[in-house]
Amino acid sequence: MKKIDFIEAKRLASLSALDFSEEELNAFVPEFEKILDMVEQIKNCNTENVDLTYSTHKLKDLREDKSKVGMSQDEVLLNSPKSKKGCFVVPQMLED
Amino acid sequence: MEFEKFTLLEIVNMLKNKTVSSEQLTKYFISKIEEKKSLNAVLEVFDDAINLAKEADKKIQAGENGKLLGVPVIIKDNILYKGKKCTCSSKFLKDYIAQYNSTVVEKILQEGGVIIGRANMDEFAMGGSTENSAYGITHNALDFDRVPGGSSGGSAVAVAGGLCPVSLGTDTGGSVRQPCSYNGIVGIKPTYGRISRYGVVAFASSLEQVGPMTKTVKDNAYMLQILSGKSINDETSADIPVEDYLSQIKGQINGLNIGVCKEVMQMMSGLEVEKIFLQVLEWLKSNGANLIDVSLPNFDLCLPCYYIIAPAEATSNLGRFDGIKYSTRSDKAENVDQIYTKSRSEGFGKEVKRRIMLGNFVLSSGYFDAYYNKAKKIQIKLKEQAKDIFKKCDVLLFPTTASEAFKLGSKTDPVSMYKEDMFTITANILGIPSLTLPFAKGKSNLPLGLQIMANNFEEGKIYNLADYIENNWRWK
Repeated sequence: MKKIDFIEAKRLASLSALDFSEEELNAFVPEFEKILDMVEQIKNCNTENVDLTYSTHKLKDLREDKSKVGMSQDEVLLNSPKSKKGCFVVPQMLED
Repeated sequence: MEFEKFTLLEIVNMLKNKTVSSEQLTKYFISKIEEKKSLNAVLEVFDDAINLAKEADKKIQAGENGKLLGVPVIIKDNILYKGKKCTCSSKFLKDYIAQYNSTVVEKILQEGGVIIGRANMDEFAMGGSTENSAYGITHNALDFDRVPGGSSGGSAVAVAGGLCPVSLGTDTGGSVRQPCSYNGIVGIKPTYGRISRYGVVAFASSLEQVGPMTKTVKDNAYMLQILSGKSINDETSADIPVEDYLSQIKGQINGLNIGVCKEVMQMMSGLEVEKIFLQVLEWLKSNGANLIDVSLPNFDLCLPCYYIIAPAEATSNLGRFDGIKYSTRSDKAENVDQIYTKSRSEGFGKEVKRRIMLGNFVLSSGYFDAYYNKAKKIQIKLKEQAKDIFKKCDVLLFPTTASEAFKLGSKTDPVSMYKEDMFTITANILGIPSLTLPFAKGKSNLPLGLQIMANNFEEGKIYNLADYIENNWRWK
């Protein structure tokens, strides 16, 4: 059974905030299909009696919830491609 | 003097005895990087390296101590070093400057190490050949036409090519061990939580660890001790005392219980590494070790589980690259949505996009249970199976890779590239420590790696066996 088609690939691209040309997506679909064939092997494994836990790490060593001095505003903004007067600059989102 | 011929421990002693200065060493290795520029292992030599070496020399003269005082070190390009570029070999982060030090960098600096540069890698650590870097491919240190492995390919070539005595890599599915194997050096992925991940750009947070890459086992043991420990900034780092790993190296393996995994032996059947692997097992037995047959019934599912869990985490971790906060924004974006989409589309390479898409697929509604939840359940099952193994065994032996380093450009199909990780991924899925050391040569006279694993936080046992093999098993 086909697990992914062009429309599904397009939906995934949109979820991923990625743009692909039609040609790129067409090439992507069969590659993706092969990867899914490989990962599908898990389907036959019996996991009925396994309790699902996402993290096996025990949250026991949390540090004290005290504020501390972090990075300065200038440091945070230094890597921004566009900033002004201590703020990130983005295109206008609201109408005048 | 040809300083690349010395081990890390020898260099530490030479600096201590003042037979060489840090400035001399640093200049020497920087000149080597320049001389071997065509390898493309190092993306940048830091301009303050020589000054830092001079400062280290002053400290040595003043009688100060530090386990790495004056030692040149190279780090992978996904490890933050304050004030320096950190691009993860991605166009997206081409101008990104680290604003703080990672814990591992902090530890190196505290011990007086001189970080001289950053090494090439697969973009965001996604890949097994360092062919996915936005800054060009890296070449194998031993054969220019072959891949160095990946994703920490630059770090491995830096050590194997004599550009530094020690480097750092990161290992999410084999990214330290596989390139070490391909370049004939020693590397470890420690137990999950042994080394703090604070300040390491995240790819798959639940699987990855920083690992030292060195010429010898003892160098590696020395370095792991320096890098390990609990960090207040990484909740997943373990509050378990750090051992003196060098003192765990006893020089004998009498009575050591070595696990030989049935499923791995089946998988190895007919592969290049099989014959020599069987020979080393026999040799270990004749040297006093016990070979114990064990089983990891779901071994074959480690690879598919990895290619569900890792992309799922990657897609979340890479969500932060939105064109607003870090480094890159598309010139073509006219509204906020376009800032996200166009910046990401222009900034990320093909493999990174593929894994983001895969991650979103396995996390999206309708597939979440069948893929992500199922993979997490199998991971739990595998961990239970591993517990049984380590009740009977001290260590577990795998090959690191199926064969020698492959030719550049020869693997274009993603699935065949992913299968490169089939022997290394197990340790990441289980969270256990795993070291590779060179132990044989393949049909093209290039090195093959042997992988030694142990139960969580038992790196000492690994180093003892690895050192024994390094010193007694004759293969060169």
